Amino acid sequence: MYRSIILIVLLCGNAIAHEMTPTYPKWSVSHMQGIHKTTMEIFNRRKDVEYYEIGIFDEEWKPVPFVTSYKILKIKHLSSVKFDVYMSAKHSPRAEYICSISKLRGDNMMIASKICSRFK
Amino acid sequence: MKKYLLLMSLMLSVTVAYAENIDISGTVQSRCIINTDTAGAYGNPNAYTLNTTAADGGQKPIVRVDVSLANAYYAQVSYPTSFSSSPSLGDTVAWTGAVNAVQTSSSDMSGYQAASTTTGSMRQYALTIAGTTWFDVASAATYGGGNQKPFPGGSYKAVVLAECIAQ
Repeated sequence: MYRSIILIVLLCGNAIAHEMTPTYPKWSVSHMQGIHKTTMEIFNRRKDVEYYEIGIFDEEWKPVPFVTSYKILKIKHLSSVKFDVYMSAKHSPRAEYICSISKLRGDNMMIASKICSRFK
Repeated sequence: MKKYLLLMSLMLSVTVAYAENIDISGTVQSRCIINTDTAGAYGNPNAYTLNTTAADGGQKPIVRVDVSLANAYYAQVSYPTSFSSSPSLGDTVAWTGAVNAVQTSSSDMSGYQAASTTTGSMRQYALTIAGTTWFDVASAATYGGGNQKPFPGGSYKAVVLAECIAQ
């Protein structure tokens, strides 16, 4: 029976990477009153990942509401995407971390990468 | 005499021009890169065990973390505690695992493993030196709640989480 169990490939063999900058983003005033904005960039060198999800969290890792064009970004292999993040001035002092996490799917197993920058 | 003075003034002006300072500015941006270096796989040494150790026919996944500035990031690596996909399982699965810093780009980083801390399945490393660290992840799953029941046939997948958290 156990021989029928398929061995699991946890991830593809080539060196593949996920990168997000800046490490310490800062809020700036946006063109809308009472809304703060920051710009982030993700570089995707993971062949096995096409999508990254964005999240913003407070000091206790509770989610803080924010707005982007897409919370899940499609980033082609070996390309980078810059994206703007907007947050109300009321919530922005609570924001501590902004994170991107790889979205795994299909047979492309199986190391999830997560990078979190910190507002200081 | 006039020609001599003119020549001297030209030479001085050229000298002054060459003495101007030209600034070259640049910044080193702190960054963390998570690389998935080596494929991982579960071996199936018996009916009720899946294991990444080589002795059991498996392979430990290796994650590489590069940081460009010291004291800017924590690396956090977690071994799996559930399958992300599997056949229907009617019994319990017992999970064990370990994360180790197996190689570093500098001998100054040799204390990373000893200084690391664990929370559940996650091990956290303070990356106090700029450079590269390789982590391997061991994972084992045993089926049947101690009764050594065979895993149902099919494909099993689990996820290792590698994180870089800005300090």
